[in-house]
Formats: sequence, structure tokens, C-alpha cells
Amino acid sequence: MKKSLFQKVICFILSAAMLLSAVALTVSAGELKPDSTAATLDEMQSLIGTTSYAEYIAPHKEAGTKPGPAIILLDNSTVQGVEKVSDSQVCIDAQQINQQNWVDFKSNPNYANALYLPATGSATWSFTVPEEAKGMYYIRIVYYNCLTSESSISVIERKLFIDDRLPFSESGNLSIAKHWVTDNVVKNETTDTTEKDNYSVVHETRDDGYYKVVTAIKDGKKTVTEYKISQDINGNSMAPDVVEKPTWSTYYCQDSTGYEHDYFRFYILNGTHTLTLEAEREPMIVSSIELVPVDDDTAVVPTYSQVLAEYANKGYTAPDKGEITVLEAEFPDFVSDSSVYATNDNSSAGNYPIKSKAQVYNVIGENSYSTVGQWAAYKFTVNKTGLYKFSMRYKQNGRQGMYICRSIKLSGGDYGLPDGTPTVPFAEAHNAQFNYDKEWQSTYITDGSGDPFQFYFEQGVEYTLYLECSLGTLKELIQRVENSLNKINECYLRVLQLTGNDPDKYRDYRFLDIMPEVLYEFLVQAKELEAVKLEFEELCGTTGSHTTTLHTIAILLDTMGSDDGDYVAANMSTLKSYLGTLGTWINNSKAASLVVDSISVCPADASDKAALRKAKAGFFKSIGFEISSFFWSFFTDYDQMGLTSVPNENSRRVEVWLASGRDQSQIWRTMIDAENSFTESTGVAVTLKLVTGGTLLPSILSGKGPDVYMGLGSSDVINYAIRDAVLGVSGNDPRKEVQNEVFSSNYYTYKKDGTYFVVNDPAKVEGELTHVSQTFKEVTDNNFVPAAMDTLRLLDVTYGIPQTMSFAMMFYRMDIFAELGLEVPESWDQLLAILPVLQTNNMSIGVNYISAIDFMIYQKGGNMWRYTDDPMHAGAEIGLDTNVALEAFDYVCRLYSDYSFPVSYDAANRFRTGEMPIVIGDYAGIYNQLIVYATEIAGLWEFTSLPGTHREDGTFNYDSLAGIGATVMLHGCKDVLGAWQYMQWQTSAEVQANYGNKMVALIGPSAKYESANIHALQNLSWTASEKAAIEDQMSHLSSIVNYPGSYIINRYTKFAFLAAVNDGADAVDALTGYIDAINSELERKRMEYGLPIGAPGSPQP
Amino acid sequence: MSQTNAETKRPVKRSEVSKLRWTWEEMKNSKTAYFMLAPFFLLFIIFTVLPVFLSMLLSLTDFNMLQFPHWMGFSNFTRLFLEDDIFLLACQNTLIFAAITGPVSYLLSLLIAWFINELPPKIRAVVTLIFYAPSISGQVYLIWKTLFSSDSYGWVNATMIDLGVISEPILWFENAEYVMPLCIVVALWTSLGTAFLSFIAGFQTIDRSMYEAAAVDGIKNRWQELWYITLPTMRPQLMFGAVLAITNSFGFGAVVDALCGFPSVDYAAHTIMHHLNDYGGQRYEIGYASAIAVVLFVIMFSSNIVIKKALSKVGE
Repeated sequence: MKKSLFQKVICFILSAAMLLSAVALTVSAGELKPDSTAATLDEMQSLIGTTSYAEYIAPHKEAGTKPGPAIILLDNSTVQGVEKVSDSQVCIDAQQINQQNWVDFKSNPNYANALYLPATGSATWSFTVPEEAKGMYYIRIVYYNCLTSESSISVIERKLFIDDRLPFSESGNLSIAKHWVTDNVVKNETTDTTEKDNYSVVHETRDDGYYKVVTAIKDGKKTVTEYKISQDINGNSMAPDVVEKPTWSTYYCQDSTGYEHDYFRFYILNGTHTLTLEAEREPMIVSSIELVPVDDDTAVVPTYSQVLAEYANKGYTAPDKGEITVLEAEFPDFVSDSSVYATNDNSSAGNYPIKSKAQVYNVIGENSYSTVGQWAAYKFTVNKTGLYKFSMRYKQNGRQGMYICRSIKLSGGDYGLPDGTPTVPFAEAHNAQFNYDKEWQSTYITDGSGDPFQFYFEQGVEYTLYLECSLGTLKELIQRVENSLNKINECYLRVLQLTGNDPDKYRDYRFLDIMPEVLYEFLVQAKELEAVKLEFEELCGTTGSHTTTLHTIAILLDTMGSDDGDYVAANMSTLKSYLGTLGTWINNSKAASLVVDSISVCPADASDKAALRKAKAGFFKSIGFEISSFFWSFFTDYDQMGLTSVPNENSRRVEVWLASGRDQSQIWRTMIDAENSFTESTGVAVTLKLVTGGTLLPSILSGKGPDVYMGLGSSDVINYAIRDAVLGVSGNDPRKEVQNEVFSSNYYTYKKDGTYFVVNDPAKVEGELTHVSQTFKEVTDNNFVPAAMDTLRLLDVTYGIPQTMSFAMMFYRMDIFAELGLEVPESWDQLLAILPVLQTNNMSIGVNYISAIDFMIYQKGGNMWRYTDDPMHAGAEIGLDTNVALEAFDYVCRLYSDYSFPVSYDAANRFRTGEMPIVIGDYAGIYNQLIVYATEIAGLWEFTSLPGTHREDGTFNYDSLAGIGATVMLHGCKDVLGAWQYMQWQTSAEVQANYGNKMVALIGPSAKYESANIHALQNLSWTASEKAAIEDQMSHLSSIVNYPGSYIINRYTKFAFLAAVNDGADAVDALTGYIDAINSELERKRMEYGLPIGAPGSPQP
Repeated sequence: MSQTNAETKRPVKRSEVSKLRWTWEEMKNSKTAYFMLAPFFLLFIIFTVLPVFLSMLLSLTDFNMLQFPHWMGFSNFTRLFLEDDIFLLACQNTLIFAAITGPVSYLLSLLIAWFINELPPKIRAVVTLIFYAPSISGQVYLIWKTLFSSDSYGWVNATMIDLGVISEPILWFENAEYVMPLCIVVALWTSLGTAFLSFIAGFQTIDRSMYEAAAVDGIKNRWQELWYITLPTMRPQLMFGAVLAITNSFGFGAVVDALCGFPSVDYAAHTIMHHLNDYGGQRYEIGYASAIAVVLFVIMFSSNIVIKKALSKVGE
């Protein structure tokens, strides 16, 4: 049958209409939030569609390198050369900033003209390149990591645009290191001018190894520098307090992922151009920006054999009577990152120093010293000129059957760039290899060849050795696997769009006809992975579980790609789990963890016996150490960990418990004891105890409870409050006349002759005023959102101060939205409008149903509790049977039953594969998980506030619900004022931000802390845009107030929800069926505590 | 002289003294044994006997863990039986659960032990381990959570979707229809525990010569051998196994919690044990929870007596 032209036209019009209507759906988004924090479609698309550096540089490989003058964009003569700024706060004269703690700021001659670039906004410079100067350039920035009110613990991150676009995707992610010093090392320097003529520097470690002593005699002056790790009263090393130290340094634009060892080269044509620096994280001060032409001297790093030939040419030999200098690794002179710090390792009696009865810091590294680009630097000098080699005692048990790499960079003398930037002396120094062994090893620093690297050092010159984490020889292979992963992922999503989550094994999807290129890609990637596997084995000389992973995946891909795609559908779920495995494989391969005990600088001709420290302790020494450690373990008082002074029996004392990890407790301990901190200003000593979760209840029962407990969930606070176990701190508790006074007036602590006095009248202060205790109102007003305070209140009395606050936000995959051409939804209507597009591509949305029910009720303007005029009756009846609440409940049930939201899912995994481009959940929880778990999608996702609801009265609401962990004071606390002083200190913005930053410093970026104090957020290490999003959601929070019997609500809403979703019961009927059960439980609980029952008064309109 | 001495020190006869005095004398005679028993006995009284009586006492109060209890009389019990619908549901669930898992797991243990006993020693050791493994490796029942995951990628869901049986994933442990049967299956799977081992040990201790004697006396088949010789000889092990089976089937709670969450959907697998935890752990109503515990105690105790009676009939 032949179709008429008319039919064809009709068909065409209909199909066009259908296509357009799908587009129209997505376009129908109204303007909702004028200040939306989500990225727009344009932003997302521009981000995704850039080339990589490798693609950028390939056509310019041949572009000539030639010496020439640097093109200066900014220095003291062109300070006003800023072309444009994004707002008036960007690029102001650094002189105008409060320069507190800006050490050495004036050491840069250009300081007077330096520019301050804050943590937000962008600045653009224009420059002209003459005809003869076009070519390759490095970009060099001289910067100062200033400390301002905007600073936090993160590294500085900038995006660099040339002519308003990213030249390659990596330039959108430049991380610029800050300088850190650990202040648990006490440095003491003495100089005497006794006549000494010869030059010498002696490093020694003495007195149980706590000290490093460097004695230098130079120009007739003898300098003795002692370094000491501070200790607690039991001889344990104190946890490091890593402090940012502002310093002028030079940064060359380079790759932060470690795939590219050389600095980035920018190909600049002649003409006028602009260069823009856009802030991602952290403020910085810039004194100069230059385009440095790539010339042969800087571009070509010699090979080791060339360097050896040069040594021979110049007649360099091992020094005559050279001495071995031992550098104890736990005393780095600088580190790149706050998480590279000394730690304790008692796994071998051969570690130096070591003690069986205390934990002494004796090594550096472990997991926190494993990310590409992290380094620790050591200064040293040699006593005779000549050739030297390095030996090292270390443990590498992180990557089985493989080696890890460090780049050996040097500065000082002839090494490094003239501006002091360290460089590798020869190409092989990027690949210093450290092989796998369960035990400690002692070897020379060398690449795979086995001959120790030799370096020429001159007497009297101070050199700095940088041990930088690098991917070394593995970088190319890992990069290939990562590219492969991205390609396979694309294929996976393509297939998924056709078949859905659960492909039908028996259906013929005709992959060969529909997507032959996908099948081809499967085969290509199988070959690629197999090739990488072979190269890996060649490099490592062994096969191991590490390479088997690649092999297994290659076989699967081969199966899927061959036989016309008959096996694609059947293997999709296996492929999905393998994608996860491959992602983890890349993460593991990139992490190069190494524990270093010591590094020795030895003359090239030193014997192995002299140069290499013993890797393992002798048998008897080991046994002796184990026995004495076991013995001492009975006498260690872990509660005293970190105490720096023996507690004075007479001083005021507060006992504080917290139930979290040891890291957290150590951080609190150091913060309490720090100089000018809590104990020093109030005279109140704190006994901090780390307890396990359920200990509080039994301890109260037996009368041995603490004075203050940190991190109690808000429902527990109310549970304990109605049983009179926690104390009301709002100063209006009718039952506690005496204590109320403490919470409603100011107390002044002053110090006179070393003793602390407290008075409640400022006029009576006689000595130095050290602390003012604030009232409850002063502590809570403006510091916490009302929703947070509501959860801790019962009958108008507040029972604690919020410490942590979690709430749900929306995480979305920018790449997928960009690819599908969708805007990020701001309302549920928009979300449902784009849902068909997502579902056609077999994607879904992840949100927990309990939390969805809760926030939907509040977004629609309902309340969990029936409204009543009388505060005594609040919470007496459930508000779920109001029209608004039933409507919200029905709406959520329909999301799962009609719109097929999955009830159960693995959010992180599906978000990673892209099957769930939207996941709604606790912002810090999901962020922390994604940042370590899904590194291959780093930069492709963001989070923003929840989708909102249009109410009938025309308003728009996108509230999320706050979950609170509080600090409470227990009933029976003896020193109520002391406990109150502690609580307000601990929950203050400054202390909370400090704590959050220390967590990130010690544990890494996955330890983001969700402080309840809204002012703390400003100084926590989120990017400016993340901060804006969190802040936005923080100002749109509701909370479910807790009343006696609250626990029953979730149980029955869950039952009702499951009945509606499982059995297709009517949602409203299912829920109303449980209302009576909930109300009678509430009534029973209220009667138990003598509270009035029923909710009289006008029902909510 | 020795004669008179022997006369005065003549052993006291049982009939001559009161029962109490007799006991005391006996205890004095074997004081070493009592002394050696004392440490365990003391701990047993403090941590097992005393709490039982204490909870009986608390069941008559409104103790809430944090404040001093008030005397309530029997009102906890009247509320339990007359007002608490969920308790009755929990009783029903518990009885169904115990009635199925108790006897079935007991018989299963016995039968499998009997079969295994017939195997050559080396193979027997391996097979014993295979059957015993689920109960030694603590939380291994969580494997069922993976098998019957509610996710569309869960093993059973994914397989069934593949086969076209269902199109949307089933929320196995969150669906009132499936919760109870699944929990019973898991309970049976983990139940081959200590009782099963003691049965195997029991089979080993039987004197071989008794079978020969029985054969001479006219035993006709293996069933008669089992009934008249094997089982009566290992009556202590049977008793031990039975007590364990009862306590396990009544006290089966943690597994349900781990699989279905607490409380299970629509109380579908809510047992007395859960009800106890609900009031004791979540609502801090220790008085009421103690009353539930007392009821559970009585049920277990009486079923123990019944079982004991039944076991005495074995081999008759």
C-alpha cells in the first residue's frame, strides 16, 4: 500500500508536533527563584564541551620554542591594567585589606601594587603579543596566600580563561598550593659568635629522638636550631595543629591531576588578547602575572644519562670524607598540604624514634600523603662538595604487587628555577620507584634501573629536597584507562537509553543496526584495556589482582562487542558493576601512599652498610618491644591523651562526653587546651571523654553521667528533657530558679595573681578580664536558624544548643543535563516536566521517601502537628489528617507509584554511572561520599537547593528539613556556669569553623562538617558557589518539632506509604487509617508526663 | 578405742535428721566442690537469676530508666492483655513463628545429624562444617538482604525482571505479604546451630554393642533402631536441643530487625521480642517492657515443661 502525499505530510506534522511538545515541556519552566544557585544550561554546556590539554597541545607540538622577553600582564607599572572585573570587590588594592598575621608581606618589592583577588568573582587583563613573539608560553603568577575573613582550609582554585574561553578543560581547574606549617613542632634557635673558621652543618637526633638538632657553623657564627614535637603529660606526641602561613610564592599553571608533568603551555597568536582569572575557592593576592616564553632551557629536561655524562665531563666524583646526613622524615621544613603531617607508627621496632609506653611521632605519610601533587620538603646541606645519593627507610604496603612513584625535585644552588621553584634535575627523577612490601624497606632512591640516582651538591649551599607524589611512569597508562572508562561509560549510557535498567535478555534489540559504533567501541576498548594490562605487567614484572581487573573487563567488553551485540543486553548489569570497579581501580592506582621514616643524604661512594638504615629490627629487639608495649598498654590512660598539664584538683572542672571518632576527640582536646582558648580564658578545666553511642542513658541511670554531652540528636534531647535528665538552658525553666540566673545574665571572668574569679557585675572586675559569659539570648540570636532552635524546645524551654545541622539538598549531574539539553529543575512541576525525557533515557530520580513526605508537607504549607492556640497543648495531636498534609502525602506516594521513583537504590553508585542524574539527600553526607568515591565524575556535578512547590496562595516554597545534633547540659551538673561557658564556646561560630577546618585538614576533603552555626559556614572550606547554595537552603529550612511520642509518626507514615506503593492502596485512606493509632499513642505519652491532652482551639485555616 | 570413735562418728542416716539439716551436712562434706562452683554460681545468680526476679518486680511499676519508679500493681498486665492490640498481634506472630521454626528446625537438626552420622569420619567433618557454618559466622544472614534487596539490581528482583515475571522491583522486606515467610526461611537456615552439633556428638557416644544386642533381641529395621536405642540413649542431648530450639524460636528478633528494619512493615513480623524492644528501647517504658518479658518468660517456661514431658516418652 502506498501512502499518499497527504498522509505523509500529516505524519510529518504530527511527529514534528510531538517532538516540539517534548521541547516545550522543558522550556515551560517559569522564573521561580531569581537568585537560583543552580548552574544554567549554558554554563553546563560550555563546561562540558571543552577539549582536553592533550588535544589542545597536539597541533602545536611543532610550534617553535624560542627565548624572548616575558609578556607582563601585571606588575608595579601596570597595576591599573585590569580590563574588567565582575564586581567592585574584585581586584582591590591589597593595601586596603586588614593585614593581620601577614608575615613577610612586605618582602616582595612589588607588595605596594599587589592586587587582592577575593574568593568570588573574576578579573580580566588584556595584553598584546607582537607578530614576532607568537608561540608557546608558560603562565607564571607570583602570589601570596593571604589570611582574610574569607580564608578557609582549602587550596586556592582558579579558572583561567584566555579570550573569554577555557583554552582546554584542565585550565578550568587550577589548584594553587598554600603554605602550611605544623605548629606542634617547637623551634628554638640560638646563635653564638665563637670563632669558628670551617663551615659545617650537623643534623642529629637526640634525647629519645624527640628532638632534631641542626648545628650550623658558617661565617664564624654557630647556630643551633632545635626542633621538638610537643608532648602531652604522658610523653605522647601531640596531634599536629596545621597552620596556614602566608608566603610569597611562584606558581606556573600546571595540571592538578598529575597526568602532565610539565607546566601547561599556552599557544598565543599575535594580537590583543585577554586573560581572566575566575575564583573558585579562597582569596589570593597577586603581585605579577607573566607569560613566559617556552625556551629550550626550560622546556627540555635532560635525561639521567646526559646528566651522568656531564658529571664525568666536569670530573665530579664522590666527596672526600663526605658525611652522611640523616633527615628524620617527621620533621619536614614545609608541606604542600595540611594533611601531610607527621604521625606515629609502632609497626616495627626499627622505626626511629620509638617508645613502647607512649605514641611518639616518628614517620610521615600514610594515606594522607598519597594524592598527586602533595609534597614534603626537607632542607639540608652537605659538608663536602661532590656526588651524593639518597637512601630512604620507608614502607609501601598500599598497592599490592606494584610500585608507587615520587618526583624528586630540588631547589637551591644550581637546582631549580631562578625564582626558587624546585624542578626535577633530570627526567627520570619523576619516576623514583618504591616497591611493594608488607615490611619496612631501606633502599636508595632510584628509578626501575636499580642504580642510585646521583646528585652533585656543593659544600655550604642550602638545598631543599621535595618528595612529591606523582604517577611517574604509570601516568600514561592510568590516563589511558581513565579515557577508556569515559568511553565505556558513554556506551553504557547509550545502551541504557535503549534498554532500560533491566534489559530483556531474550529480546533482540538490534544493536548492530541501531548503534554499530557502540559495539565497535566495546571492541576497541577491550583491546585498549588488554594492551594497558600487558604494559602494566611489563612495568611491574608481575601479574596481580591489580592487572586482573583490567583483563576481566576486557573479556566482558569483547563478549559484548562481538556476535552482533547478542550478548549486550545480558551483560549490562555486570558491565555496570565493572564500571564501578574500574573507577575504584583508577582511584587506587592514583593513590600512592607511602610511610617514610627517614631519608639519608650519603656520599656516592658510601657502603650499603653505612648508607642504608636497617630495614627491620633484630629479632630480640622486636620481641622485647612487643612485650613492653603489651605491658604498657595496661597503664595507658586514654582519657588523658593530649593533656598538657596535670589537672589541678582545685580548679573548676567540667566533664564533657562525645560519641564520635578518635580524630574528632583529639581535635577538640587540642582546641580546648590551645593558647588563649577555652581553659586559659575561663579557668575551667575540661575532662573530655570519648564514649560509644549508647552510653549516655546507662550513665545517667547510674548517676555517673557527664556535665555536658556533645552531639545528641534532637529527638533524644526531648526524650531526656521530659524525663528531667537534661537541663533547660533558656533561662525560663520554672522548675530551676537557681540555674535560670546563669543563663540569663552576663558573668565576667577575670584573672588576678594567677587565680580566676567570676563576678556578675562588670564594675567588680579587678584584674585582667578574660571571658564574658553570654546569656542564652545572646548565644542563640542570629547564630542559628529558628527551625533549628524549634527542635530543642519543649513547652517554651530550650534544652540545648545546636551543634550540627543536616538537611537535604539536590545533587545533579551537569554533564547529563547539558547533553540532554535540560535545565536543572527548580520546582517539582519542572522536575515532573523533565521526567519523561529522563525516563525515555532510562534514568530516574533518587529521593528517600520518608524525607520526601516530611519536606513536602512543609513545602505545601502544612505542619506535622495539629495547630492549637495553647502552647501547653502543642504536639498533642497529629496534623497529618489536615487537607494540606494529606495532599502532600498523596503527592509523594504518586511520585513512587505513578512516576516510578525507585524506593530502594544505591544513590552514590547510580549517580556515578549517570542513571540517577538527580539525587536528593543530606548535603554533607552525599558530598563526602562522592568526593572520595566517585572521583572520575569530579567537576561534573553540583548541588543546589531542593525543588520547590507553588502554593495555592501564589507563594513559592523550597524548604528542606533540618536535623539537629545538639550540645546539652545534663541534670546533676555541679558547675552549671562552667558547663554553660563551655557550651557557648563550643557552639560559637569561630570555634565551629575552626573545628570544621581542622577536620578537613586532618582527614581530607571528605570530612566536611555540617555546623549548625550559620556564621561558621563562611569560614568552612566550601567553594563560593557551594557556600551560596548551602546558605540559600539554610535560609529556607523548616523542622519537625519534637514532642513526647514523636517516634510513632514515622513508623505509621512508613506503613501507610508502603501500603500505597506495594498494594496500590489509596494513599489518603491508608494514612487516615493510622491517625487514631498515632493520636492515642501521643495521648498516652502525654498522660504519662502529666501534660494536657487534646488540641483545642481553632483548627488551622 | 577405735571402736568407740567409729561409733560416735557413725554416718548420720537420712531418716534421722530434717531435710534442711541433711542438706547442710551434705554441703559441708563436699565443701571443696561447692567452693569450686562458687564463682560461676555467684555470677549466675547476679547476672541471670537476679535480673529475672528484678524484672518481675519492675513489671509492677512504671519505671522509665531515668526517674524513680512508682508502684502500679497489675495495671501493666491488664493494659497488655486488654488494651494493647499490637501485643496480641505480636503473640500471634510469635506463636506462628515458634510453631513452625521450633519443631521444623529441631527435626531438621535431628534428621541431618542422623544422616551425617552415617558418613565416613573425614567426609562427616566437612559436611558438619558446611551445615554448621551459617550459625557460627554471626551476621551471615545479611546475605539474604542482598539476595532479596528491594533495589531493581537486587539478585532476586533482577533475575525475576530478566525472566519477565515482574516489571517493577518487589520491596521484599518492606512488603507485609513477604516479610513473615522470608523471615521463617532465614530462621530455619540459621537454626542448624549448637543443637545440631550436640546431636552429632550424641550419636557418637552411643555404645555400638547395644545395637548388636538389639539385633539379637529382634530389632527389625533402622527406624526401630532409632526409636528404641539411639534416641533414648541420647535423651540429654535431645533435651538440650529442645530447650535451645524453644528459646531461639521465641527469642528470634535480631534477624528480623536486620532484614526488615524495626518495626517490620505493618507489624507483619512483629514478635513479642520486638514488642519488648519497642517499649524498652524506644519508649523507655521499662516497667511495661518488663511485664512483656514476664509473659514471654512464662510462655517459654511452660513450653519447656511440655517438651520435657514429651521427651520422656521417647522410646516407649
